[in-house]
Amino acid sequence: MKFNVVSPENTKELLELISVNQDRYFRFGAGYTDLLIELKKQPDEDLTVINLAQLTDDIFTAISKIADGFRIGSLVTAKRISLSKDLQSNYSVLTEAAKKLASGQVRQVATIGGNICTASPAGDMACALVALQANCEILNSNGTLRIIPITDFFTGVRTTVLQKDEVLRSIVIPSNNRKNKIYSNFIKIGTRRAMECSIVSLAYHILTDEKSIITHAGIALGSVAPTIMLAKSACDYLLGKSFSSLNPSEIKEFSQKILEYASPISDIRASAWYRTEVLGNVAKSIFEN
Amino acid sequence: MKKDLKVIGKPTPKLDARIRASGQAVYGQDVVLPNMLHGAILRTKYPVADIVSIDVSKAMQLPGVVAVITGDDINANNINYKRDNPVLKRGRVNCIRDEIAAVAAVTREIAQEAVKLIEVKYNVKEGIFDPFEALKDDAPQINEFVKGDQHINIAHPFYYEHGDIEAQKRKSAVIIKTRFELPRMTHCCLAPCAITADYSNVDKRLTLYCVTQIPFLFQRDMARVLNMAPSDIRIIQTVIGGGFGSKLDMYPYEPICALLSMETGRPVQITFDREEEFIASPTRQKMTIDLTSGADSKGKFTFREARIIMDNGAYTSWGATTPFVMMQTFSSMYQLPACIFDAKAVYTNNVYAGSFRGYGNPQATFAVERNIDLLAEKLGMDKFEIRLKNANYKDELTGQEMKFISCGHKEALEIVSDKSGYSPCHSREGGNLSNRYKRGIGFASMLHVGGGAKIYPSDGCGTNLKMDDFGKLTIITGSSEIGQGSETVLAMMASEELGIDLKNIKVINTDTDIKPWDVGVHASRTTFVAGNSLLGALKLLKEKLSNKAAQLLKTEIDDLVYEDGLIESTTSGESFKIDKVVREIHFKPPNELCAVYYYYEPGSEFQDKYYKGNVSDTYAFAAQAIEVEVDTYTGNIKVLDIHVAQDVGKVINPLGLAGQIEGGVVMGMGYALLEELYSEKGYILNPNFHDYKIPTSVDIPNIHFYPVETNDPYGPYGAKGVGEAPLIPTAPAIANAIVDAIGIRIVDLPITPEKVLKALKNDA
Repeated sequence: MKFNVVSPENTKELLELISVNQDRYFRFGAGYTDLLIELKKQPDEDLTVINLAQLTDDIFTAISKIADGFRIGSLVTAKRISLSKDLQSNYSVLTEAAKKLASGQVRQVATIGGNICTASPAGDMACALVALQANCEILNSNGTLRIIPITDFFTGVRTTVLQKDEVLRSIVIPSNNRKNKIYSNFIKIGTRRAMECSIVSLAYHILTDEKSIITHAGIALGSVAPTIMLAKSACDYLLGKSFSSLNPSEIKEFSQKILEYASPISDIRASAWYRTEVLGNVAKSIFEN
Repeated sequence: MKKDLKVIGKPTPKLDARIRASGQAVYGQDVVLPNMLHGAILRTKYPVADIVSIDVSKAMQLPGVVAVITGDDINANNINYKRDNPVLKRGRVNCIRDEIAAVAAVTREIAQEAVKLIEVKYNVKEGIFDPFEALKDDAPQINEFVKGDQHINIAHPFYYEHGDIEAQKRKSAVIIKTRFELPRMTHCCLAPCAITADYSNVDKRLTLYCVTQIPFLFQRDMARVLNMAPSDIRIIQTVIGGGFGSKLDMYPYEPICALLSMETGRPVQITFDREEEFIASPTRQKMTIDLTSGADSKGKFTFREARIIMDNGAYTSWGATTPFVMMQTFSSMYQLPACIFDAKAVYTNNVYAGSFRGYGNPQATFAVERNIDLLAEKLGMDKFEIRLKNANYKDELTGQEMKFISCGHKEALEIVSDKSGYSPCHSREGGNLSNRYKRGIGFASMLHVGGGAKIYPSDGCGTNLKMDDFGKLTIITGSSEIGQGSETVLAMMASEELGIDLKNIKVINTDTDIKPWDVGVHASRTTFVAGNSLLGALKLLKEKLSNKAAQLLKTEIDDLVYEDGLIESTTSGESFKIDKVVREIHFKPPNELCAVYYYYEPGSEFQDKYYKGNVSDTYAFAAQAIEVEVDTYTGNIKVLDIHVAQDVGKVINPLGLAGQIEGGVVMGMGYALLEELYSEKGYILNPNFHDYKIPTSVDIPNIHFYPVETNDPYGPYGAKGVGEAPLIPTAPAIANAIVDAIGIRIVDLPITPEKVLKALKNDA
């Protein structure tokens, strides 16, 4: 496997490198847990890898509290996310997704930006961020920032809205408003408990008021469609209902609404039938216990 | 036997643990020789095709390429058990592993690049991938080198029977007939295949640095393949990163590497990457077992009738002889008055199966143990009671004429039942935690050879011992270390007998030019056979030392004890250092070296043509009780606790033993729940660890091990074979536990979440 590597150390150098490589075939590398596997399968000697791992700017590397939520730099690793107490107490769907990603070794290097930009329908942290309805902060080579909701970020399997002169700089997760309690978790279905690519995943982030009434719901589904799906109508269905006293027919209806977003495929890991069946079952499980 | 053992039975870290853990161990990939080239193999693009032409000219022109060989360039005989596998294929390919050409170049990368430049024109053909299709009357012959006696595509038939099966059928109150489907799984050795061949054009001798687990048979076989004299071939085993039976056969890459070295006159190394390892290394037999089992109204087993079709793949390895072991389980695990066993290894165009830890026994035991639960259910009997009632016992002579000179089967069953907290009133309802999660307990037993297996003209092992003038012992054993811990066990025995510290003992076991003959690592035989061989040699060495020591200490030989590096007179309390005694022998009359040799041949016998006879000196028994939790929403199985009671005869090294038990159980879990090498029309669909799943560390349940010590009269210190056993009962015990929890029908492996959910849905 041969390719060229350039390693910018700050944003300025990065933007310059993006500019000068516009006519060449280049890829960004950060944790390399996906890229190396891909390059091994399809080596390309003309490839230039813009290595982001040496960037030191906080905006790329820090988790910070901001006025209306949290900002996470795209180079923050799964391991760091899983250890963040702030994220754990506010958005445990994300920390749980980070903890369930691959293995300890992979979590040590895999970045949240990579998990988003690889645009796999099975992306764990990406799925959690869709449930959280996070925003992506994208920088272009001129230094211009554009912000788009993560729900608009994915355009298909392994494709995104990112232009060739753009890089995902950071992610902003909105504050939890008007909440009394947070029900936030990541359900990952695989055949074993580590080193697993999700067969089905369901991320939920639900806020309730003091009367247990649902005031906000974000539910995202992984591995059941070409992109991670925000199950909007299922989220809307929950608003105004009591989290702790949904009746069986309401739970069933909710589960039906979830399934409307599923158009899974059959592959070596699981059949479409299994994915659909399990998704319906685990959707119900949100309201049990 | 000594009453007071000082070393045997004490937890002892493996002798090679430090070099392995520190990265200093020299695996096949680490071998570097002066002037060494790297080899790569071109494998077929299609599972079945005629080869129209091969053009190597572009590969030859690539700078750095030294040689390219095809089947037309070599003079080599076919390999494998039936001599049906050409080293490089000519004219025709039969499975996706098939080797067409090979390159030697100055780097591995250039060799791999050159392989891509070889142009092959194929005439692609339809293949046969289902053994039942291959057995049809009009099926074409798959392997041109072997014509089966019964049908052109039967590579190897086996038939066995004992007892009056019709009479036993009439006595049966219940009869259960089930068809079981067992998958193709592979060893997943952490070190992929590697070999370095060094042929000298000067002395015409070949040295192979390789990973075989049967060095002497390998040497003889390699000589036959290459038309050389066996003694001109030296086998040096590198550190082996996992064998599990996979290294019992020769594979084409090994003679190919030798041929490249002969062609170039330079050392050549071939190593597999992980994908090549998945595609081109062996698998456990995929098979279909039709098993009919009977029991009388009191729950005594009456008969078993097993009819088995094994997917042999395109060539015939030792793996085709697994029925030899399977029939022992069908005929003799639990008392059984009558048995019919009929198994056929059938050629297909799939990748060919090899031998794998358990050697057919995991498949056989799965079928037998699943049917036992079904018999118990139909009889309304408790599933533990029915097993206990039929358990094997000491001094039993089975229908197949195996003699159980020691037997801990009942004890093993009782222990796992007790420790798992199983009670007969335990029921499916009792295991219900919630609507979603259900728990169940399952049992399974196992019977396997424990004192070698006489299938070759000798099942023996030689030992040379040398004690140097400084009191250090070198054990030169014919046996091989493949990670099972045999070196450590042998050193412990010598330490025990001679009263010297382990650090004063070296084990030499990797070089056929040095070590005495041994049949190889298989049949869980090494501790038993190499151990007995070592004890025989130690007896001779001690005679030598004791004669001199008695003379020096002016006492009788019976008066001497070996302890703390001393030989001591128990009456006078006087002693000599052991090295002093060696020097007295060496430098004074009789002026001899302290060196001895011994060859041990087990007392086992060949089976007759009806497969009857006591093939092993002793047998190992085990039982497992496993508790699982089933997630009925997802079909996921969580294995909670595995209770293992195994008749090991005598615990030699508790640490090594625990390693074998835990490793085996986890391999059994993989077989039960995760592992299958999927293939479609001869192509392997999951040749990587991403899609071929083995258990990870976080999947490992609590494993509780209770050794049963039956002190076998023939075993070294009473020990018997251990290595294969722990894998064997795990899959059926897990399957039985799942059935206990949720009452679904399980007839195949692996039991994936999808199969579980589908079964639940169909039952609902």
